[in-house]
Amino acid sequence: MKSFLMILVSLLAPLTVAAQEVTVDVNAPQSAVAGERFRIIYTVNSTDGRFQPPAFDPSFSVSGPQTSSSRNIQWINGEMTSVETTTLVYYVVAPTPGRYTIPPAQYAARKATVSSAPVEIEITDAGTVPSASDNRGGQPPENGSEVSMRLILNTREVYVGQPITATLKLYTRINLSGLNDLKYPDFKGFLREDIDTPPLRNLEAEVIDGVQHGTGVLQRFLLYPQIAGELRIDPIEITAMVQQRASGGDPFFNDPFFDNFFSSVTNVPRSVVTPPATIRVKSLPSPQPADFQGAVGAFEITSDLSKTEIAVNDALTYSVTLKGKGNLNLAGAPVINFPQGIEKYDPKVTVRSSGTAAGSKVFEYLLIPRNTGTFDLPPVSYTVFDPELDKYVTLRTPGYTVKVTGEGDAADETVTPAFIPGEDVKYLGQDIRFIRSGDTVLKSVPGSLVDRSYYWLWYAMAVLLAGAVLLFRREQIRRNADITALRNRRAARNARKRLAKAETLLKGSKPELVYAELSTALWNYLGDKLAIPRADMTREKCYAGLRAKNAGEDIITELDSILSASEYSRYSPASQGDSPAELHRRTAALIGKLDSMLD
Amino acid sequence: MRRSIVLHILLAITALHVSAQTPEESYRHAGELYSASDFSGAAAIYRRIYDEGYRSEDLLYNAGNAFFKSGDIASAIIFYERARLISPADEDINYNLQVARSRVTDKFETLPELFFVRWFDFFSLLASTNTWAVLSLALFIVSLLFVLIFLTRSASGGRLLSFWLALSSLILSLIMLSLAVRNNSLVSHNRKAVVTCSIVTGKSAPGDGGNELFVIHAGTTVTVEEELGAFTEVRLPDGNKGWVKEECIEKI
Repeated sequence: MKSFLMILVSLLAPLTVAAQEVTVDVNAPQSAVAGERFRIIYTVNSTDGRFQPPAFDPSFSVSGPQTSSSRNIQWINGEMTSVETTTLVYYVVAPTPGRYTIPPAQYAARKATVSSAPVEIEITDAGTVPSASDNRGGQPPENGSEVSMRLILNTREVYVGQPITATLKLYTRINLSGLNDLKYPDFKGFLREDIDTPPLRNLEAEVIDGVQHGTGVLQRFLLYPQIAGELRIDPIEITAMVQQRASGGDPFFNDPFFDNFFSSVTNVPRSVVTPPATIRVKSLPSPQPADFQGAVGAFEITSDLSKTEIAVNDALTYSVTLKGKGNLNLAGAPVINFPQGIEKYDPKVTVRSSGTAAGSKVFEYLLIPRNTGTFDLPPVSYTVFDPELDKYVTLRTPGYTVKVTGEGDAADETVTPAFIPGEDVKYLGQDIRFIRSGDTVLKSVPGSLVDRSYYWLWYAMAVLLAGAVLLFRREQIRRNADITALRNRRAARNARKRLAKAETLLKGSKPELVYAELSTALWNYLGDKLAIPRADMTREKCYAGLRAKNAGEDIITELDSILSASEYSRYSPASQGDSPAELHRRTAALIGKLDSMLD
Repeated sequence: MRRSIVLHILLAITALHVSAQTPEESYRHAGELYSASDFSGAAAIYRRIYDEGYRSEDLLYNAGNAFFKSGDIASAIIFYERARLISPADEDINYNLQVARSRVTDKFETLPELFFVRWFDFFSLLASTNTWAVLSLALFIVSLLFVLIFLTRSASGGRLLSFWLALSSLILSLIMLSLAVRNNSLVSHNRKAVVTCSIVTGKSAPGDGGNELFVIHAGTTVTVEEELGAFTEVRLPDGNKGWVKEECIEKI
């Protein structure tokens, strides 16, 4: 009896043990793309309990569960093992990105209630829903092909630098045993950045045009177009190992999702390529703002300063954070004009990306003030191009004021020399000087005189005029000279006429007229000979003229005495003196002497 | 459509208004535009005043500045050079010209001109062509007067003095005449030109046939050697010669 009981216990023991170890396993992806369907599979190693589904997030649309139970009894070496399994498959679509926790599911077994572990799922944003683009693209991609691969792009028209989310998806209607040799083209004109994609383990069922396909995401990545124009993406190639059954199929087992263990299969490699795609890349509108550094997307900017009061020569961190969705990796550092006196080092750049194009980029500037005082860190303006708005958006951060105090390190002081020769003036840039303000005198420029012929005619005219004047003067001089010569020639004759007349007068009744005639004869003779105008005649001039002609002093004395005598006798006839006849004789003798001398 | 018509009428009115302005008013207006950082607007007005035939040192200097600020370095150099012909010693003009030249792509090793040529040119630019010409003519007439005195006066001390006065005023007159001619050739017939196209190919013959000899960029100063149709033979500062399109250079 006792032994029978023992046998019974030993027989029941495995069953009891199995019943005691009820567990609920949950199998869910760690991350999924928003809008894309994913599976959550609960596996319970029991069949007779009641499954309490978890409270899914209300935004999720859940379909299912697809429940299947199985009971597997094995006899191995006379030992029976019974495995009961319940599988519940939920198909979930999460519309909004984020991090979600799926609470534990509960399973009420006969003896106890067990819970599954809570699951965390990261729902990432993939732009547009890939299934929507599947529909747009028209599935299946190639009618009749059993295995195909498609590159799903969230958009086909972008601006330069605007990221494109690409999903490489596999569609198959047949069993695949493996995939290898994923070959990417060189993506000419693009910069490719892979997104962490969980390795493809299970294919999902998807009914496309009434045909059930197994689908799976091979790889997701971002493409940043670098140049404008129609850019072609060359086919991506993969080698799929296609299982070909040797034996003709039972329709039940002709199922791509479950391996058919019972048929013998051979693996045949088959090359699968994606159809080429063309993307229209628009260039960014011109002109680009000066502070545009290549950032394309929807961003916001913040800045932070570690301290606003600092000792001289201490370090200061100034960080500018660019946050948003776009080509973060390609966004250049903002141009910040730090004030002079603050030493600036090249920024340390950190990119934090959440797997997709969204994330943040931090530019950290290390600043070391070298002078004391109050410094203004200018506001930063950073222009990005927002493809949604089709325009440039300028982002701004506030400016900061830093107060730098202290006299620097003691070590620095010992280093600095006792005399400071003063700092050289720093020339920051070169620019032209400012315009002249105020009014100006605008003159209409006359033509150059040098270019006009009349200017040169003036010279000719001046020369001609001068020549004419010269000729006239010469002529005048010549004529004057002629008159003098004539007078000179006629002087002696005139004098003789006067003397003859005086002689006749001597015999007349008026001897005093003789004196007048004699003096006139003398004056005229001297005036003509010495070329003195009548009006200018004086005794002194005559004497000077005679002396110039080297006349002897005796002649001048004689002349003077005759002139004095004739004048004296003229006005006082009764006076004593030479008689008129005597005077006439002396005058005739003097004229004779002068004539021989002056000729 | 209606809006655009209104806009056109408005534009026409403003254009009329602008053209009705005296050059002094336009000049002032351009200065205001410059102060308001509308450099290309200011430059356009300055150029129009220049094209209307008005000249002043300030106008040319400001025009150069406006072109410089609006990015047209070649035109800036042209106007600075023109301003320098009016006022060769002005420090601002020379400084800005030097700054503008530093922005020119082509760099040439140029030998400076002989010092007496430089001095002579500088001296000739101190007065206008016509000032020199009138002075020269006046001195020539004075010298003729002294010649007349010398020839008609009788031999005495005054004769000798008038001879020297005539000689010296004749020499002075000739110097001034040569200054007038030099000034005229610098100001009115300058053979220097500045490349205005951003890039120009110099060829070995006028027309499209010749071999390509060199490539010069905007702002380079060249000397015009010969003009033939739409082509001009220019000499580069380093002495090389080549034919370029006439429309690509502007004479100073």
